[in-house]
Amino acid sequence: MPHLAVSDVRAKYGALEVLKGISFEIQKGEIAALVGPSGSGKSTVLRALMGLTPITGGAVEIAGEAMNYSSAREVRAARDRMAIVFQQYNLFQNMTVMQNLTLAPLKIKKWDKAEVTSEARRLLGLVGLSDKADAYSDQLSGGQQQRVALARALALKPQILLLDEVTSALDPELVNEVLDAIRKLADEGMTMVIVSHEMAFVREVADKVVFMDNGQIIEAGTPAAIFDEPKTDRARDFFSKILRH
Amino acid sequence: MNYRFQFGVVWDNFPELLEGAWLTFQLGCFAFAGGALIGLFCATVKTYAPWPFRLLVDTYVVFITNTPALIQIYFLYFGLPEVGLRWSNEACLLIGLTLNAGAYLTLILRAGFLSVRVTEIEAGQTLGMSLIQQVRYIIVPHIAKSIYPALANFFIVVLVMGTSVGALIGVDELTGQAINLSTVNYRWLEYFTVVAAMYVVLTFIASIGLALLGRWAFRVKARIF
Ligand SMILES: Nc1ncnc2c1ncn2[C@@H]1O[C@H](COP(=O)(O)OP(=O)(O)OP(=O)(O)O)[C@@H](O)[C@H]1O
Ligand SMILES: [Mg+2]
Repeated sequence: MPHLAVSDVRAKYGALEVLKGISFEIQKGEIAALVGPSGSGKSTVLRALMGLTPITGGAVEIAGEAMNYSSAREVRAARDRMAIVFQQYNLFQNMTVMQNLTLAPLKIKKWDKAEVTSEARRLLGLVGLSDKADAYSDQLSGGQQQRVALARALALKPQILLLDEVTSALDPELVNEVLDAIRKLADEGMTMVIVSHEMAFVREVADKVVFMDNGQIIEAGTPAAIFDEPKTDRARDFFSKILRH
Repeated sequence: MNYRFQFGVVWDNFPELLEGAWLTFQLGCFAFAGGALIGLFCATVKTYAPWPFRLLVDTYVVFITNTPALIQIYFLYFGLPEVGLRWSNEACLLIGLTLNAGAYLTLILRAGFLSVRVTEIEAGQTLGMSLIQQVRYIIVPHIAKSIYPALANFFIVVLVMGTSVGALIGVDELTGQAINLSTVNYRWLEYFTVVAAMYVVLTFIASIGLALLGRWAFRVKARIF
């Protein structure tokens, strides 16, 4: 049974259909990477999974359970199972790193404080920020803030983590520290769907690459198959442009 | 100029002026705090509620901001007894000031709501936050930071200009107290010189208090001077 199964998902912005039937699945512990030109709908796939952009057709299943986005309660059920990190890190400005991590588990989930705190410490260790627990976000670099955002998403113990270009707002020298944190998550067996322009990184961590264009999946397969032997002209064009440099 | 200032009489009645200043301070703080709650509620409604509620808020804001505070307070002062409500002068003033501040703060806070980035709200939503939690954990801290100067200025307006309207309905706040005392011995200039200085001190204390509150609660980097 796939851990995440997306079948024929459609979404619109007004009259414009931006997802025209998207289907892919991943197993537990696998990482899928969505790649493709700007405007192809990669972010919209993740937003639709999180219930931020309404789905107008198709189905989503997580570990065999159908997700239905038709009511606030159902949307919450999807948000209970998945967490997303965006390009902009969006930390709560007036809270410390520790408070950022523990707010949702304590105040929204009402989990046990001691457990939440020790889990938050573990996650800060994982992203290499154990010494920053009491810092505020404006005292951190972009890369550090993004790693906090990653830890904050994980503090809710999602079954699936969605990452939307989490390194593209960062200065080049800060990209690697965030990628390292994602590598560690991959090693821990986290199931992830990532949107990234870091093709070398995608090749390294992804089990499956999904190439999208114009709201559709053009090709999907292993990184080697997609990057080295793309079957379609569109994929070949795209990769020849971006892999050159 | 051959007017001879005689501050002795003012000094004799200084405790009464202090009482007036204390009342002014309380009125200003409560009206601002109450107005901030109203403003926050109305700005939330303006941002998220369906149109009939938004229309209601708009009506309130337009009605209040386009009429003088004095008229609104007179309305409560003379109007409420007609419908059988007997409130003290202080209560009429406080309610009037609060409703007045609420309308202006709706406008100020609404601007703050609009300046919150959508992505921050979405980050909160995906963490499972309810609307109230989004307002509390994302919007209010953002507003406190981004429009702190506007809020602080308006607080001074309420504290100084708003409360002094009380003098006209017989509330013994600082201005009222000064008028009362100076009608007894005609030392107008002396009283009002001292009272002006007391207002300056009052706003000074209030500004420091507000800056400390902002720093403590929202990490606003407010300058006190
Ligand atoms: N809020 C919106 N309102 C209207 N149209 C939108 C909105 N957001 C995205 N779109 C459109 O939807 C399409 C898909 O956008 P999406 O952001 O999913 O692309 P993307 O693949 O993530 O692109 P990028 O690589 O630039 O992030 C685009 O044509 C875009 O113009
Ligand atoms: Mg995108």
